[in-house]
Amino acid sequence: MSATTNETAPYELLGAHDLRVDLGGTTILQDVSLSIGPGERVAIVGPNGAGKTTLMRALSGAVPATSGEVILCTEPIQNLSRETIARSIAVVSSDITLPFATRVEELVALGRIPHGRGPAGPSDHDRARANAAIERVGATHLNHRDVRTLSAGERQLAAIALGLAQETPILALDEPTAHLDLRHRMEIADLLTSLAGDETIMKTKRTIVAIFHELDIVRDGFSRVILVANGTIAADGTPKEVLTAERISAAWGIPLERAERL
Amino acid sequence: MVRRTTFLTLAALALVAVGAVGFGVANIAPLDVLAIIGGSLFGLPVGSEISAGATSIVMEIRLPRILAAIAVGAALATSGAAFQSLLRNALADPYVLGTSSGAALGAAIAFLLPLTGIAWELGGVQLSAFVGALASVALVWRIAGIGSGEERIASVLLVGYAVASLLAAALSLVMLASGANLRAIFGFLLGGLDGVTWPRLAAAALPIAIATLLLVRRGRALAAFLLGDEGATHLGIDVRRERRIAVALATLATASAVALTGLVGFVGLVVPHLARLAVGSDPRAVLPLSAIGGALLLLLADTVARTIGVPVGVITALIGAPFLLWLLHRARAGYAL
Repeated sequence: MSATTNETAPYELLGAHDLRVDLGGTTILQDVSLSIGPGERVAIVGPNGAGKTTLMRALSGAVPATSGEVILCTEPIQNLSRETIARSIAVVSSDITLPFATRVEELVALGRIPHGRGPAGPSDHDRARANAAIERVGATHLNHRDVRTLSAGERQLAAIALGLAQETPILALDEPTAHLDLRHRMEIADLLTSLAGDETIMKTKRTIVAIFHELDIVRDGFSRVILVANGTIAADGTPKEVLTAERISAAWGIPLERAERL
Repeated sequence: MVRRTTFLTLAALALVAVGAVGFGVANIAPLDVLAIIGGSLFGLPVGSEISAGATSIVMEIRLPRILAAIAVGAALATSGAAFQSLLRNALADPYVLGTSSGAALGAAIAFLLPLTGIAWELGGVQLSAFVGALASVALVWRIAGIGSGEERIASVLLVGYAVASLLAAALSLVMLASGANLRAIFGFLLGGLDGVTWPRLAAAALPIAIATLLLVRRGRALAAFLLGDEGATHLGIDVRRERRIAVALATLATASAVALTGLVGFVGLVVPHLARLAVGSDPRAVLPLSAIGGALLLLLADTVARTIGVPVGVITALIGAPFLLWLLHRARAGYAL
């Protein structure tokens, strides 16, 4: 736990303590400890296969901890029902694929599922919340489009709106800028910065945790960076502290003189 | 909009049902149909102009047959919609886990057994088909590891296909050995509603009604499955549990339907797609509309089938296959399945 964390975290919204995750007999993550408070904007970076996505899945309860524990909204995550977890953390996928023609407003309304009861479809209230989420990401003009015909950038906006419709204090995003061109990357980064300023239903600012490969986005828009390498946390702090040429060179296995130019 | 479409389809089903009971070689006016049913079931006064013959045709022949068409159509279309959502595959139908081959083999074996008298009346063939359907799904379930959390959709489909092929080969052998019973087995494969009796209808309709209603009530979980296992998990759904429940319910409905009427194809594949065209892809809207629409479609198809004297399975295939081709043609023009 770094000094920066304790200053900005009045209570533990999302945390891991000595977390280890084994999948199929292989240890993917070990010795992972971190603590994230309300309103923090945290970028997770690291080379392919380092364990970034597994860390996000463990923090959202999609894979169980082999040992150690994950804390969500001050509770050990194994004590929470799946529905309670889904009302606390929304996980935005970078590749939404749908088997049938589905309008953007239908997709985003699925985000209301954790708040729903019974067999009936989305209520008028659910539809209003879904439309508000679509409006928040500036995608109202896409409402009636089939998700499968959207461009990569438009699809990412729809995916983020789906996460917002869950109305959770934490929004987690797995590579929200994957497959996007320069302009769309910037737009998503700006949107995330803006979303972090929103007040959530827990009366705190929204917490954003996102996996990135582009270090420029992280330097510009995030106050805290967690570097994951070889299945553990190699560094945790401000972009300036974490993204040094030495650390980048070591984590990604690239020559120091090239890392200095990044 | 969703509610209005569902309501209008339900109203159409009620009208067509009353009309279909009256329609046939002996035509009976819709009001007389209502009077006969009211009189027989609730002891309401029946006008003297209604003959005992008409009452017997309605109550003993047409009403059980029409209720069977409604139950089977609803079961197949709802199961088809559920399997399409669960497996995230537009080509999935109620038979995707080998139900049809298992039922056909079960029925074929029963035709070869010396079933007589009471066993025949109580539906020995139907029971054997039901057991065959459940056995084939149990086999697919076990091999593909459904509900284990490790299963892959492609492997579920492949295992279903492989088990179905194996059972189809066994069926061919039984048919070769069946001699005089070949025609009866062939009739089961074509699917038909001839000779539905009240006891057989009741035995099948009860599990169908329970399974179909419960399946419609799982719409919330099935909606989450649109986003895949990982996406559904993040929406708070227990993926393994919900998949087991939905497969079990859809299998119970399909096996009961197949046992009653043989292999009626295309209803379970095409109706959910029609429902999606009308109300969008959310299973909470698609499942109830599929149930009503499937009942309506099979009832219409069976009315045509008994008028021209062919098995209803032939009619559903004759309507269903061109319709599917039309949908695929539209897919190129903009609407994608």
